[in-house]
Order: sequence, then C-alpha cells, then structure tokens
Amino acid sequence: MFGLIGHSTSFEDARRKARELGYEEYADGDLDMWCAAPPQLVERVTVTSRTGKQIQGAYIDSVFVPEMLRRFKTAKRKVLKAMELAQKSGITITALGGFTSIIFEDMNLLKEERVSAVELDWQRFTTGNTHTAWVICQQVETNAPALGIDLASAKVAVVGASGDIGSAVCRYLQRRGIGELLLVARRPQPLIELQANLGEGRILGLEEALPEADVVVWVASLPQSLQIDTSSLKKPCLMIDGGYPKNLDSKAAAEGVHVLKGGIVEFWQDIGWQMMEVAEMAKPQRQMFACFAEAMLLDFEELYTNFSWGRNNISLEAMDRIGEASLRHGFRALALSDQATPALATA
Amino acid sequence: MAILEATPASAELETSESQSADAAGLPDFSSAAYKDAYSRINAIVIEGEQEAHDNYIAISSLIPEQAEELTKLARMELKHKKGFTACANNLGVVADMPFAKEFFAPLHGNFQTALAEGKITTCLLIQAILIEAFAISAYHIYIPVADPFARKITEGVVKDEYTHLNYGQEWLKANLETVREELEQANRANLPLVRRMLEQVAGDAAVLHMDKEDLMADFLSSYQEVLLEIGFSGREIAKLAAAALVG
Repeated sequence: MFGLIGHSTSFEDARRKARELGYEEYADGDLDMWCAAPPQLVERVTVTSRTGKQIQGAYIDSVFVPEMLRRFKTAKRKVLKAMELAQKSGITITALGGFTSIIFEDMNLLKEERVSAVELDWQRFTTGNTHTAWVICQQVETNAPALGIDLASAKVAVVGASGDIGSAVCRYLQRRGIGELLLVARRPQPLIELQANLGEGRILGLEEALPEADVVVWVASLPQSLQIDTSSLKKPCLMIDGGYPKNLDSKAAAEGVHVLKGGIVEFWQDIGWQMMEVAEMAKPQRQMFACFAEAMLLDFEELYTNFSWGRNNISLEAMDRIGEASLRHGFRALALSDQATPALATA
Repeated sequence: MAILEATPASAELETSESQSADAAGLPDFSSAAYKDAYSRINAIVIEGEQEAHDNYIAISSLIPEQAEELTKLARMELKHKKGFTACANNLGVVADMPFAKEFFAPLHGNFQTALAEGKITTCLLIQAILIEAFAISAYHIYIPVADPFARKITEGVVKDEYTHLNYGQEWLKANLETVREELEQANRANLPLVRRMLEQVAGDAAVLHMDKEDLMADFLSSYQEVLLEIGFSGREIAKLAAAALVG
C-alpha cells in the first residue's frame, strides 16, 4: 500500500476544504485549533497501472498549513505525526508532499525518529525527489524543442542547483548534453562543490544568469519579494517551475516567456480521488506531484525502500529506473500544451 | 517534492531552530519555581493514579465477570502511585493534593454519575480511554525533560498504561454496535473537560518544559488511534476528536 502525505495551500483553503469534506468543526476552528489537531487519513484509493496492476493507497492530510511555518515545533510535530499515522496505518511506502518534505529536510527530522511511542521506520518513506527530478528533465527535453530551443546549444540555468533535485537535474542534463549549465543557488560553497563534481557549469548570480538562459529550471521556492525583469529575458525562454509553492507564472508573465509547472505528471486514466483538488491541479483526477507518483511507482514495482532519501543521493541510474517505471505504468510529464492558460498572459 | 535552498520558509525555519535549541535543555530541577510547579503536576499524577485504581474497582462491579482482570489493572495503578510519590520525595517536594482533588472533581463527578446509572461505556471512556490516553501522552512528553529518577519510574509506568488503554479499547470494540450512541454522548460531555484540565495546568507544565500544544496534539493522536481501533471511521473520529478543540 502506498501513502501520500499532503497539506492545504493556505489556512483559508484548508478550512474551505474541511467544510466541503464534512469536517465542519475543523472548518470553524481557528489556527490554534488546527495546530493541535492530529493528522487525518482522509481518503483511500485504488489505482490501476497501464499494465493492469492494481495497488491501494491512502492520502493523509498532515493538517499542516503554510501559516504554521513560523511555529517551529508545530511544523515539526505535524510532519512526524503524519508519518507516524502512515506507518501505523500499515502503509508500506509514503511520499512526503509539499512543505512536509521541506520541513523534514530543513529541520533535520532524521534525528527525531522517536515520536511518542512509535519508532519511525525510514524505509517506509520517500521524498519522491528522484521522480520529480526525472520529470523535470523530461519537461526540459520535450518542451524546449517545441519552442524552437535547441538543447544542444542552449544555456540552461538551474536555480537551486546544489539542492537535492537541482543537483540531480544538473547531472542528468550534463549526461544528455546541453549547451551550457548555469549554476545558481543561495549559498556559494555547495555550488563550488557541485561545479567541481560535475567538472563543468558556470556559477552565476540569479540576475546574471536569467538574461543568458534559454531554459530556466527553478527548484528553489521563490521569495515573495523576488522580481523578475522579464524584458531582459531571452525570447523564447522556457521556465520550469519546479519549486513549491508554484508561483512563478505570476512573476515571469511576458510574451515569449513560457512557464511550465514543473514536477507534475498526468496519469493515463482518472483516479477516483478528491484530494488532488486541494493541490490546485488543472486536472485533479489525473494530475499530481511527481513525488506522490513516486510512492505509487515504488508500490507498483514492489520496491519497498526509501528510494529517495537524504540530500544529494540521487543517482542517474535511479532516475533512469524510476523514469522507465513511470512511463510503463502510465505517467507522463506535464507539457506546455497541457496547460489551460498559456503562459503568454500579458505582463 | 521540490525545493529549498532559497526559500523564505527555510530561512525562518533555521532561525526558529536555533532558538529552540537554546531552550531545549533540561529544566533546573532544584529551583523553587520548578518545585512549585512540580507540587501540582505531581499531585495530579498521584491523584490520577489513585482515582484510576478506584475507578477500575468500581467498573468491576459493572462487569463482574471481568473483576479479576480489572482488579489486576487497579493494583498496577496503586504501584504507579507509589512510584510517583517517590519522585516527589526525591525532589523534596510535597504534592499539593487538595489542588489535585479539585482538579479532577468534574471528571470524577461525571464518572460517579455514570457509575450510579450503570453506564459501563461512559465509565470506560472516561477512565480507560480518556484518562489513560492523556496519561500516556503526558508521560511520553514528560520523559525527555524529567529528572533521571522520575524518568526511570515514568518509563516503567507508560508500559503498563498501554495495557489499560488496550483493555477499554477491546471492550468497546467488542460492543461497538450497542455502545456507539452512548460513546458519542460521553465523548461530547467529557472531552471538553480534558481540554479545560489541560489549560488549567498549562503554566505549570511549561515550567516542566512540557508544551501545552504538544500535550494536546499527542493526546488527540492517541485518542484518534483508539477510536480507529474501536471501529469508528475517519470522519467520525475527526468529529469526535474535534470536541476537544472547539466548544
């Protein structure tokens, strides 16, 4: 059985969703109430692969909302409690979605395997980052040529290059062969190490990298204050919004700038679930975060292990393996042509 | 999922982490403030164990065929009481028993009313589920910040309390169809009391480095888990548990 741990995109949204699902008491509760509320296993689903194989899964809402990010202890507890619920519910492989994996990594929760009486078994969890990285690479490979960008000579900027997903994307694109890798991240030291490790790539500040790039892969979330001078960007420019939350389309809207939601996959048929609606997918019955899909893939493949775990452990072999499984079981990466609202909106 | 390095969220997280690391040390067990708070928290625990003993004996009068099992549980509670009394002595603290009696009065009253009416379900919910689930959560949160003597004792107690929680859980599970309505009613009447009791001692608990929100969240997780075992659906459980958070 696979599991997905997710959360609502805002407190307001969470309350609305609670009302829709019939959790009236929660819909009326204030943020303090939500902070103390335990995680909920809200939905069970059966998913059928294109191969015909069927698996069962569950969606666990961590009852975390981004408004709780400032409450360190609360955020930490929300993630660990949701993982505890997944484990106690007998779920074999669970993906951490949205902020839950960010909290897990940034707060170094690996140190905290003891949640009350339960010892968490890390083998049962995955960040889903391997699949996310693979999907983002597919999105670059498919959509750049569609815009007339020749990857063999294109400059691809990876923003957040030294992170778990970013570094995997760099390695994958390096193997594929592109014009030049532009490496961007907040902290210089990991970037220098990445560059040494790759043996190529140019380290640049964000503002220097953007005007040079034909393709920009964003795997760092964007500060609210970030402003992009769209007039200085190349046209066409493909931007893959692989961060969380996905808010690049509002910052980089301009003619010739094509923003694609990154790390999103579409399944070959509808899944009878309600929960993806909270993730604001265009087609919630089929589309989902690639990290969630990774849990399904691991279940389909009966690979009961923490496939993606820790930082910078994603190998090309693992990406190939999960990618191959992804195609076989009926997932495909979201493309520009899928997006209901073209990124050509006026600036 | 994607993300990271430059997120404003993670910047905030780092800040709060360092703050919390400073505060993560153990309390000063010898300070007057600690002893003062401990005199009430410890009294609650001692009184709680005594009431648990009395309640299991009382419940055995309603389920005579299980009197032996219940008497065994009751005896364990007295053993716990002795252990916690030793914890106070070890710190040179005198437990404030009058405070504890008053603290338990509303829940005690509800239990006695249910007992007089022969309501097994309500009695079990109050004692074997609510009180036990709360005790387990509180002990778990207490253990990492307890003095070494009390830590050892509390660790031993927690193991026993699971047996008690399990007893109530199994009985209610076996009888769910006939007890459902009474259980819901008892939940509504008593869960808000648990929250009020927690709020009443939140300040003292904080002196012991036990966070009110942690206590509530942990309690609700255990409680939800028991309700799930008993056989309620996810949505029913959320509704039942919400009684602790609103109203």
